[in-house]
Amino acid sequence: MDEFARGRAAVGLDPENSAIDATQLEDGTMELNMGPQHPSTHGVLRLVLDLDGEVVRECRPDIGYLHTGFEKSFESHTYWQCVPYTDRMDYLGPMLNNLGFALAVEKMLGIEVPERARYLRVILSELTRIASHLIWFGTSAMDMGATSPFMYAWRERETILDINEFISGVRMHTSFIRIGGLMADVPDGFVAMVQNVLDTFPRAFDEYDLLVTNNPIFRDRTIGIGVISKEDAVSYGLTGPSLRGSGIPYDLRKAQPYCGYDEFAFDVPIGTNGDVYDRYLCRMQEMRESLGIIAQALEKLPEGPVTSMNRKVSPPPRNEINTSMEALINHFKLVTEGMHPPKGTTYTAIESARGELGYYIVSDGSNRPYRCKVRAPSFSNLAGLPSMARGHLIADTVAIIGSIDIVLGDVDR
Amino acid sequence: MTDTQEASAAIFAGTRARDLLKRTMPNALLEEHVSCNERTVVIDRSDLVAVVKLLRDHHEALYNLPVLVTAVDYPDREPDLPRFDVVYVLRSLSFNDVIQIVVRVTEKDPHVPTLEDVYAGMDWHERETYDLFGIVFDGHHDLKRILLPSDWEGHPLRKDYISFGEPVAFTHNLDWALQESQRPDTMPGEME
Repeated sequence: MDEFARGRAAVGLDPENSAIDATQLEDGTMELNMGPQHPSTHGVLRLVLDLDGEVVRECRPDIGYLHTGFEKSFESHTYWQCVPYTDRMDYLGPMLNNLGFALAVEKMLGIEVPERARYLRVILSELTRIASHLIWFGTSAMDMGATSPFMYAWRERETILDINEFISGVRMHTSFIRIGGLMADVPDGFVAMVQNVLDTFPRAFDEYDLLVTNNPIFRDRTIGIGVISKEDAVSYGLTGPSLRGSGIPYDLRKAQPYCGYDEFAFDVPIGTNGDVYDRYLCRMQEMRESLGIIAQALEKLPEGPVTSMNRKVSPPPRNEINTSMEALINHFKLVTEGMHPPKGTTYTAIESARGELGYYIVSDGSNRPYRCKVRAPSFSNLAGLPSMARGHLIADTVAIIGSIDIVLGDVDR
Repeated sequence: MTDTQEASAAIFAGTRARDLLKRTMPNALLEEHVSCNERTVVIDRSDLVAVVKLLRDHHEALYNLPVLVTAVDYPDREPDLPRFDVVYVLRSLSFNDVIQIVVRVTEKDPHVPTLEDVYAGMDWHERETYDLFGIVFDGHHDLKRILLPSDWEGHPLRKDYISFGEPVAFTHNLDWALQESQRPDTMPGEME
């Protein structure tokens, strides 16, 4: 008895059966379970792979391990109380989730946010996009065996999290973008911190290019891998860099500008082949474009209030409460009861770091959403994984999962 | 609608699809609504596949990207109107437009034809709607739960599904809180 057979016997398994988590299927393929605790699945994604040797014949994702029922919770909370839930869905792009929800409710209420809040929202969402792409860059390179880019990406991301902490007190789940504006104005020193990002990041991105983009091993492992055609990408409902990698220049910031994105000059990078490398290049270029948007917004950043003056929507400032009975009543009503968007439905979408993030909200005129469906970009993008992975090797599947940049909190909600 | 609203109606999202439907399949269009400058068309489920194929393939529409499928539950609406609204949101990349399509189904007969053959991405969206609302998509190749465990009971996003804790029995809600077998033989207040 060899030592593996002894080991199997010791845990009560048939010593002859060498397959503990792999089953031989009749046609010579093997069913292998990958995840949900596999390091390259970015959370708790489980894939069931039908393997013919090393070749993936079929890939069946199994999701739902992080399902938390946020949509059900929304229905029993007031609109204000829903905002912190949105952070926790796509936990790598919290401000973008806040923004999508806030824009949807503001659309129903028919209110505009002040100029300063609008510019700060753009700056913060682009910073969040860069932070999210940095994690994707680090982890997807690490999946392919390059561990040092991860450290570099973390170094840069840290400066963005420091900004989050500086303005809101929290590093990740900030809930900083609220309905009607922002939680508070940014403190002095914010502009200098963002300027520091603008000054240092271009050099860092060049460093990443030296490390990874032109690395022959990385190129060999990604060019021609996980190709998805334009037609398939659209039919699967892929959005964001995963769609643009296939050559479709669709970006909601350009197509249906929100927050005044049409005032800023930026390009939408697209790929040509729809493979892992093209999706990689799209995201790398997007980070540079985001820096450009931040620079323009910072230059034009006006002074003024950061929350709506509509006291049925946003709470009055502290000094107003101290002196005005009316303000105190408004504050009390807003905290205890919340706001009442008129009866109706809306589907409002923004371009998150992963693609089209939409909120479908049904209001019955009460202070809670009657129904709130979150259109999560990762969910649709992951649905396209089997068609990308079919016919590739297991090791390539790992690269492909990295390239569609899923967040399981976003997939499962 | 006021005059100004009528004048700006052309820019409402979904107008392109509504106009095309009105022209080519006028009988399919049961109702239309405008909310927050977005159009919703209500159609019958027997027309669903034909309407969606038309919207996807017609050169004036090209709604080729499936955005989402979900449902909204109105338990108090029956028997005047069916209980569930099944909502489809489709996007046209060529014309940069979004249309919301609603199909109404009853609690007794929550069946809708599948759109899997029209859009590859509908597979998961339909499974999610089945999982959370119990809407059955006829013809789906593998309609099973996707987010919840396969042995889960009930469909959590229905309004009559209790989301937190256990129901507490009081005299006034015994019928609601307890199963038939768990109810006491003698109801409170009926004791001799």
